[in-house]
Amino acid sequence: MPDILPAGTLHDAAILAEARPPAARVLLDLWRPLRALAALLCFSFLGPFAWRQDFSHIDARAVLSAPSWAHPLGTDVLGRDELARLMQGGATTLSVAAAAAAVAFVLGLTYGLCAGLGNAWLDRALMRLLDAVLALPSLVVLICFSALMQANDTAMALLIGLVAWPPLARLVRNEAAALRHRDFILSAQQLGAGPAYIAIHHICPAMGRLLAVNATFLVADAILSLTSLSFLGLAIQPPRTSWGQLLGEGVELLALHAWWLVVPPGLLITASLFAADSAGRALLFGRKSA
Amino acid sequence: MRAACGRMAARGAEAAASIILLVTLTFVLAHASPGGPAYAIMGLKVRPDTVAAVDHQIGADTALWLQYLTWWKHLLQGSLGTSYLLNQPVTGLLLGYAGRSLLLQVSGLGLGVILTLAGGIAHGKFYDTRFGRLLGAIEIMFYAMPGFVIGTFLALLCAGLLPSSGIADLHHAAPSLADRLRHLLLPALSLGLMTYSGLARYLAEGIAAELRLPYTRTALAKGLGPWAILSRHVLPNALRPLITLLGLSLPALAAGSVAIESVFAYPGLGWLLWRSALSHDYPLLIGGVLLTGLATILGNLAADMVNTILDPRRLYA
Repeated sequence: MPDILPAGTLHDAAILAEARPPAARVLLDLWRPLRALAALLCFSFLGPFAWRQDFSHIDARAVLSAPSWAHPLGTDVLGRDELARLMQGGATTLSVAAAAAAVAFVLGLTYGLCAGLGNAWLDRALMRLLDAVLALPSLVVLICFSALMQANDTAMALLIGLVAWPPLARLVRNEAAALRHRDFILSAQQLGAGPAYIAIHHICPAMGRLLAVNATFLVADAILSLTSLSFLGLAIQPPRTSWGQLLGEGVELLALHAWWLVVPPGLLITASLFAADSAGRALLFGRKSA
Repeated sequence: MRAACGRMAARGAEAAASIILLVTLTFVLAHASPGGPAYAIMGLKVRPDTVAAVDHQIGADTALWLQYLTWWKHLLQGSLGTSYLLNQPVTGLLLGYAGRSLLLQVSGLGLGVILTLAGGIAHGKFYDTRFGRLLGAIEIMFYAMPGFVIGTFLALLCAGLLPSSGIADLHHAAPSLADRLRHLLLPALSLGLMTYSGLARYLAEGIAAELRLPYTRTALAKGLGPWAILSRHVLPNALRPLITLLGLSLPALAAGSVAIESVFAYPGLGWLLWRSALSHDYPLLIGGVLLTGLATILGNLAADMVNTILDPRRLYA
């Protein structure tokens, strides 16, 4: 066998096949969990085109009215239409969470690659620091920093991203440290490729699935952090709103039994977390588990 | 034995590094508060010469590294400053609220373990039946719900039946024990359901996997009843990984309790942290962050040490 094929060809082809599942397969894996996510995205971003009520329009004659034809999900304490508010809140929640996940993804990937591909002492120092960071309670850190700063969307996305990256960094580091001694990396090094080139063109594609899985988990994590913070009134400020903030407003009115202010945002938060989580699971274990 | 000591020393050093990081972080936070400490103490309408005087009095005009050392000195002496809003020493305030938080955490964890055992064993025993799949669906549903959503829905469902705010009825000067328990039930149950949602699935899958192994068939052939097999042979094996997971889930539980305390207006540490963040009471906020951070780090350390003693295989992992 080794005489027929040039050394390494078969091996590299096998690695590529293992590392990159066909695009169609990935799409098939993702379709079921992504249906839920697509529905939530449509609700939040396309919904306002179908349901043309202003989410911030105050109507003093319809304060806390129960669901009706005019207001399918009722109105809040200022008479604002709850359905329109849920749509606007969804757009804010999902876009800020996606931005936060992107920040965490870039940070975690860079940190993990530096640790996994750098020399031994750099690796050790970075991993010790990572352990120390991982031990901090992230929600407490988030509460503290969000009390200190102006809570606009960009700042929120940066803050949540800055807190969410450590688990990804550890995974990337372990994977990169395992990959760096494989034949295809060594041969790239022999050909004169620098560390940055190898990291971008060889290591990252080889752990594509790991990155995709953890990107979806990061989105779930960011949604959880953002909804928790805005539930506590520390993230998205009025007049704009988010699912967490809507739920928080509903909780303050629990004594009035305004269930329509509590159940829909709670279910939407749960559904978005479930969708992001199951997309990750489907990527990780294949279609069956979704 | 030597391996155990080495591992514990390494874990201790790791926890110490985390604590140093935490203290440094709070120092940065204290300096990042808008306007600096003088404005935080005197209010935003203070005159510039007063700012200079206050800065001099509290040492804020000295070199930064000197202030950092002073920060450590004050912490080691247990002094965390005075709350702006409540005008009381932060340390005493925090300890009072921490006691109530601990009560909630312990009762929540207790309920959670009971729910996990009941739900997990039932799910594992009837793994492939319709009942088992129903239990699995319930676990997944609670798993996707953040703690504050569980708490909110419980409060909505039990409205009128159980109190959903505070720790006791305000109309009585000396609330009875039963009244306190009634107030504790819903927040503790929310925490318990969070624990259950994270752990029951692992227990169920562990039990189902053990039940497929040949030794359970041997026990059955010996004439042991199904419940005796479960309790004497299967459970001890399936429970061991659960202790690790329980330790790992403690930080998430502590974080979840912040939101749960705010749902039920339960005056614990998380609630205090939340209120001080909303009202920009920085000494109290920073003290709260230090205490919860310290508790999380030490809790993790303790869980890891217990695990190392219980399961020596972790030494060589």
